[in-house]
Amino acid sequence: MKKVQFTGVIREYDMHSASVKVGYGVIHVLCLLVTVVAIFPLIWVILAGFKDLKEFMSSTSLLPRSFDPAPFITTWDQLGIARNYLNSLISVLGSVVCAIVFNGLLGYGLGILKPKGYGVVKKLVMLSLLLPTTISIVPLFMNIQKLNLGNSFVPLWLSFGANAMYVILFVQFFESLPRSIIEAGHIDGASQLQTFFRIVLPLSKPICAVIAIFAVNAAWSDFLLPYLVLRGAQMQTVMVRLFVFSTEQTVNADAMMRSVVFSMIPPIILFFIFQKQLTENAVSVGIKG
Amino acid sequence: MKRFIKMFSLVLALCLVMTAIPFGHAEDEVIDADLTCTITLGNWPPDTAADAEKALFEGYKATMARQYPNVTLVPDYYSYSLSNYVPMAKGHTAPSIFQPPFTDPQLLISQGLVGDVTAALEKFGVLDQFSPSYVEMLADENGRIYGLPRDGYVLGMHINIDLFREAGLMTEDGLPMYPRTLQEMAEYGQIIKEKTGKAGLVFPASETYGGWLFTNIAWNFGCVGENALEYQDEDGRWVCNFTSPQCIAAMEFMRDLRWKYDILNADATTTDWAGAHSLLGTGEAAMNFAADDSVDQPTANKGLPVDSFALIPFPAGPEGRYALAGGTCYMFSPDITEDQAIALMAYLKVLGKLPFLDDQIISGMRADYAAKRDRGAPVLPAISAWTDAEYNAAKQAIIDEYCNVDMRLYADFFGSISDGTIALKSEEPIFAQQLYRELTAVVQRMITREGADVEKALRKAEESFQEYLDDEYNDY
Amino acid sequence: MSSKKGRLLSGSRSSEHIKAWLIMLPSLLLMTFFVWEPLFESVRMSLYKTRNVELVRFIWFDNYLSVMKKDDFLQALMNTFSYTFWSLLIGFLLPIVLAVLIGETRRCKGIFRTVVYLPNMLPGLAVVILWSSFFSGGATGVLNILLSAFHIPPQTYLTRAEWVIPIIIMIATWKGAGATALIYMASIAGISPELYEAATIDGAGVWQRILHIMLPAIRKLAGTLLILQIISVFQIMYEPMVLTKGGPDNASLSLMQLMWQYAFGGSMNYGKASAVAVTVTLILLVMTAIYSYFNRKESDWD
Repeated sequence: MKKVQFTGVIREYDMHSASVKVGYGVIHVLCLLVTVVAIFPLIWVILAGFKDLKEFMSSTSLLPRSFDPAPFITTWDQLGIARNYLNSLISVLGSVVCAIVFNGLLGYGLGILKPKGYGVVKKLVMLSLLLPTTISIVPLFMNIQKLNLGNSFVPLWLSFGANAMYVILFVQFFESLPRSIIEAGHIDGASQLQTFFRIVLPLSKPICAVIAIFAVNAAWSDFLLPYLVLRGAQMQTVMVRLFVFSTEQTVNADAMMRSVVFSMIPPIILFFIFQKQLTENAVSVGIKG
Repeated sequence: MKRFIKMFSLVLALCLVMTAIPFGHAEDEVIDADLTCTITLGNWPPDTAADAEKALFEGYKATMARQYPNVTLVPDYYSYSLSNYVPMAKGHTAPSIFQPPFTDPQLLISQGLVGDVTAALEKFGVLDQFSPSYVEMLADENGRIYGLPRDGYVLGMHINIDLFREAGLMTEDGLPMYPRTLQEMAEYGQIIKEKTGKAGLVFPASETYGGWLFTNIAWNFGCVGENALEYQDEDGRWVCNFTSPQCIAAMEFMRDLRWKYDILNADATTTDWAGAHSLLGTGEAAMNFAADDSVDQPTANKGLPVDSFALIPFPAGPEGRYALAGGTCYMFSPDITEDQAIALMAYLKVLGKLPFLDDQIISGMRADYAAKRDRGAPVLPAISAWTDAEYNAAKQAIIDEYCNVDMRLYADFFGSISDGTIALKSEEPIFAQQLYRELTAVVQRMITREGADVEKALRKAEESFQEYLDDEYNDY
Repeated sequence: MSSKKGRLLSGSRSSEHIKAWLIMLPSLLLMTFFVWEPLFESVRMSLYKTRNVELVRFIWFDNYLSVMKKDDFLQALMNTFSYTFWSLLIGFLLPIVLAVLIGETRRCKGIFRTVVYLPNMLPGLAVVILWSSFFSGGATGVLNILLSAFHIPPQTYLTRAEWVIPIIIMIATWKGAGATALIYMASIAGISPELYEAATIDGAGVWQRILHIMLPAIRKLAGTLLILQIISVFQIMYEPMVLTKGGPDNASLSLMQLMWQYAFGGSMNYGKASAVAVTVTLILLVMTAIYSYFNRKESDWD
């Protein structure tokens, strides 16, 4: 039998005391309770998806009458969710690439190259971290319109290339890289850009992974700027669609719950694939997602 | 407004005298080969739309291509919202045509954000047939026209007959014994709640809906004319008046609906338009203030059989009987040229939005009504935006063919509009959305706090909205 | 190489410096376009009378005065502080408690850790919509169904002015607490077990070890997370927007939501919207400055 390690405040020797033993049991019960609270809403929304409108509005039972998946299929087809998934995918992929390349390059400049005067920029970036992005959404949207970039994914992608938090994370990581390797490469005659792509990026896989995950999650969840930029149903992402449903009330409450389920499936899949990186790396690097 | 009612009675009278219809151009005829321009069309059905709808619009496009070979149509999937429209209009990226609700045209016109189509309408010879009640909504003070109605509605009340039956509120003819006054509404609502346990009335009071519905109640308590909620004084300044005895009485009535009669649904302050239809359609509420254009909501969309559904006129108040009339309209980019304006009118003609009927439009109407009937949505007479009697009569005849409801359940609604027992009224003239927002807050206060001070709350809202009027208009 | 400052470039060759700036240029342009210029523009617009997006005339601080003298601004300001208060009460301590609890478990620790992080991955909007069904009044709301098992009659939640803000914070906490807890756990896991053992030898019980060793170890992290939490709660917008539309009677209206209403809610007054936005920014800056002042003092003691 595998020996279970004590890792916290309570040590092996504490277990002789009866009160600690009880308290220890209580801790497990509490954690189980927390697990239920974290999971129950998810299970409920899936269950609710099996109900039709009449049942959803009138039933006082948590369980649906039947587990026929037909409503999910109907909603999927009726609302054309496949199209929204595709749009979200396009939006997410471009955003991730931009998030890594542009923030990475700026981080490289501020964390490794440090040309004359970089300090000012670094301070500006640090300051931007404190500023709410929603605040300047009006002039930003006007800028996008002036460049006639409305109804296109380009501004959404590029907006991920200008994220102060990602830049700071890159800078922090780059500053922790061993100088000698980078300098060696640099002396070999590689240009600054080559050094970045050949030496720095390959060394930075952990931070790139973390930022990619953050960016995927943020790009998938984002809806305010996409709602303003992607004007019609043709290009709407899943979350924009959900926002439109919730504000314009074009969808019945039962179908709404199924849309919620659809909007959660990709992040949940992603979560289970990358849970180790998420719960370990992301935490040690990140302040918050 | 009177002319509008007259027009409507004319429509109904003419239903029987179906005679020859002046058909428009034959569809394949080239109308104008010289007209050369490009128009971008908002609200084009996206790829995800139903195939029938896409085919319909492709059909419109083909017709346009035959009639106006040098007009290029560019589909745009844009759906209007005030938040994204303004920067687009300013950035010159607005589509040539789009569909705002009737709450916005005056705001857009006053800010110079929409295009003028008066000359183009004149060219089509329909300017003088435009219903005067719509002129008020879609023209500026000089009578220039900036939009066309897309669809109109009149506010009334949706009824779930099943709950009325369960509560024993039926006449001998098997019709629901529906409330004719707001007072009766409160009493019947109580009976229903007692007998069925369901809400007598669903009152969607979230965001701006509460204020929107409340204005209609306030009108029926006498907030019109010199007691109007907002009016322009001799100096041309807009003044708001929420503290007239009439308005206070109306708000006290709102409060009583919750605390004295207790007939409202549980979450009124977070219930929105769709939520209200859901509650009525699934039998969780018996009455809902709603219009004739949304009869498909409780029925086809939320599952209530058409036999269990009735539409009645807005209940009268102690001081009158008014019903709000509104809808959505077509408006145009501020950048359109004269040629583009003509091309856009031609496009609307193909869509059947001008008072012309040709085979294609008629078959389109038939397809639409047949689809409604198949979905289980009531097929009802439409309220026309045009005063052209023959056109209106011809349309009515087609509707009659597809009618799938017991018209007795609708008779009073349409009858009261045509015989003038109910007066139609458009929304409060300026900054209606803000007015609704202020009044919604008061309504929410009344229905969430027992014994809230009506006059105090209204005075607060009045001060706030007056400041808004001063800032945005009077001292602009 | 002036490796003392960690710089890759040699100080003398200016062409190298120019090249480095060129590498950063695209990113800097993006930062300008998406962050700095719009912010600058916000400040500028807030000083102008606007007619939709046009600047009509310079009016100094009239927008600010006009916005601030209105009842809804005061209400929104108080609400926003109330959001912050509840968020500190519920949202700040809970992750620490969670971290301690999960950190003490031996069995299923991995599962607990994974599960509490899961809600953080879900789109915020979807979470809000999901929870709205939990708090719907009448007999069909999920919470009321659960309560009915204990024979408690159906309650209403989102229509009660005094409950909406705590409820919205609870929803936000449900989503975010797990992820924050993991950050604390990482920090707690870094505490050397020898410290605990030494304390035990000195006669410290479990509680004393938590109080005197564990909590001091995470104090600094807690300070940072606290300020980040305040910054994010201060910007709360779409949660009330979707859940209650700011109601009932503006009881859940937040400052950012007020900004959205001025801009997109029907009046298109971008000048006033910007005035609200800039006010929020200023409040945040002041709070951050206060925090870093105290934080600096603390580090002096360390």
